Amino acid sequence: MEYRLKIKEETLSVEVENDGEEKIKAVIGEKEFDVSYTAVNDHRIHLVVNGQGVNAYVSDQGDGKIIAIKGKSYFVCDADLLEQSKTRKKGPGSNPQEVTPPMPAVVISVAVVEGDVVEKGQAVVIVSAMKMETSLAAPFNGTVQKVNVAEGDKVMPGDILVDIEKEE
Amino acid sequence: MFKKILIANRGEIALRVINTCRDMGVKTVAVYSDADKLALHVLAADEAFYLGASEPAQSYLNMDKIIDAAKTTGAQAIHPGYGFLAENSEFVEKCDQQGVVFIGPPAKVIKDLGDKITSRKIMVNSGVPVTPGLTSTEADPGVMSVEAEKIGYPVLIKATAGGGGKGIRIVHSSEEMADACAAASREAVNAFGNGEIYLEKFFTKARHIEFQVLADKFGNTIHLLERECSIQRRHQKIIEETPSFVMTPALRQEMGKAAVTAAKASGYVNAGTVEFLLDENNKFYFLEVNTRLQVEHPVTEMITGVDLVRWQLEIAYGKELTLKQEDIAGRGHSIECRIYAEDPENDFFPSPGTISFLKEPTGPGIRNDCGVYSEFEVPVDYDPILSKLIVHAQTRDLAIAKMIKALKSYIVIGVKTPIDFLMDVLKSEPFICGEVFTDFIETHFENWQPDMSDADLARIAFVIDEMCGNRKAKKLVCAKDAMPTPWQTLGSWRHGL
Repeated sequence: MEYRLKIKEETLSVEVENDGEEKIKAVIGEKEFDVSYTAVNDHRIHLVVNGQGVNAYVSDQGDGKIIAIKGKSYFVCDADLLEQSKTRKKGPGSNPQEVTPPMPAVVISVAVVEGDVVEKGQAVVIVSAMKMETSLAAPFNGTVQKVNVAEGDKVMPGDILVDIEKEE
Repeated sequence: MFKKILIANRGEIALRVINTCRDMGVKTVAVYSDADKLALHVLAADEAFYLGASEPAQSYLNMDKIIDAAKTTGAQAIHPGYGFLAENSEFVEKCDQQGVVFIGPPAKVIKDLGDKITSRKIMVNSGVPVTPGLTSTEADPGVMSVEAEKIGYPVLIKATAGGGGKGIRIVHSSEEMADACAAASREAVNAFGNGEIYLEKFFTKARHIEFQVLADKFGNTIHLLERECSIQRRHQKIIEETPSFVMTPALRQEMGKAAVTAAKASGYVNAGTVEFLLDENNKFYFLEVNTRLQVEHPVTEMITGVDLVRWQLEIAYGKELTLKQEDIAGRGHSIECRIYAEDPENDFFPSPGTISFLKEPTGPGIRNDCGVYSEFEVPVDYDPILSKLIVHAQTRDLAIAKMIKALKSYIVIGVKTPIDFLMDVLKSEPFICGEVFTDFIETHFENWQPDMSDADLARIAFVIDEMCGNRKAKKLVCAKDAMPTPWQTLGSWRHGL
């Protein structure tokens, strides 16, 4: 069995072979791992990797799993599944560069109105989350088509706060 | 002692206060908003009182609702925690009028010290050294620039009200002045309802050292040693320790005396903190007095053995401070790390969400003041602190090692936390050598990236988790004494390529 697993920007292939009950052999690149494991509960797996015991804490999160080992968290996803879902989502004409908050937030002020010409990097909306202000910038040079929010609005990641038509 | 008090706060600090109340046999009333219906402080208190909508103005900042809650539930006193109404003199006045005891300093003291201009004047008059800068507020960026030229850039534009790193901007040149003044003022209006600002010198190489004080109504005032709080991000402390690496008995005595003078000069009563900057030449300057219990108070509790919340209640009840200065001695070393829901890879931006899994560290010398639990949704509406993790050991080196161990076993999944960042800071050469200044993070950890040393193990754990599939289903199969087939145990899988 082979998985292609991505952490951050790095996708590595993991070859796995069953090696008895609750035992596997895994090969990642040049490295070989003899692993025996116990699924302690839904979130905790105890591993003995090449003779060394370690706990991994796992939680499913959307496209992948968060795995915490020795206080460090890794977001691991299946690169093959990810590619499939990406091709599905990406329709023609979709634009990944949008004015959207990185997290749930409240709009503090809108610095532009319809028809304004904006430059890439120019602050167009200021939002506040957990009492901290952050400004959202125009992703490219262009013209403001529509302002979709007003001061005090609660906004979520993915909400397009300002439509900007890209300058050709 | 009070029979029952109300805690006008939420999260870990509300739980911290409840904890001591339990020790003292004082009943507790929690208050909560829509976002906090299932918050831990609500579940832990003897009673809980609903305030209103999640936005602070409708709940934790709503003075009338809170005082009404105290009267309705029969609470004799209100503990404000930190933040929200903790340093609001109007609230204290309202409590006084309504016959509810405020557990903290008198209204006038909060007003005087909460205004950085007035407090600077009090200190100058009583001979406590202050940082160079203005002793009056200023709205004109032009005038600010002139003053900045006089004392030299960089300077700090600071809101005269509030604290907690809000309403502060560093200015390096006159071109940045107008924007910085506007931003600091706006942030201050939002956070404290007062946009007044002033200017003071910004020390690029300085340590932030503060002294805990306790004062009663009879004029007895003592200090409880220092805390070193130089490791900050966005002007907010993230690692605190005591004793300070640079403290000598002589300097401690001198600064402690200045702290007591500062408290006495302002008529201080209850627990408070006098903050100083210590420059490279070990010259210290008064910064401000925090008229509240601070987030980092546990490190002081660890080395002195004094429960500060207990003394807050005793003093508010009118008891005399029986602790004398000579009773106060530090034992060992204590470090605190603040665990926020935030992303250290992305400029420490807040990271709200649902905690899908939580495992707190435990062991000798480890204390975790925690305000959340597994399945709790960290609301977007409030400060993102999850817990404060504190360790106590015989020496600084042992405390660092203990803190790293504790962080390693602290598992928070679902929101981002600085746990791995904190471990890297604690392991770093400059931290170990005590080379800690307020610019520590910008200097040594500007573009920090998490260490990926266990990425292979994480990949293996991913595969195993997939292979185990739905574990509850697997248990059911086993219970029927049937041999599970690979179709049941493999989870999702695919042919070898």
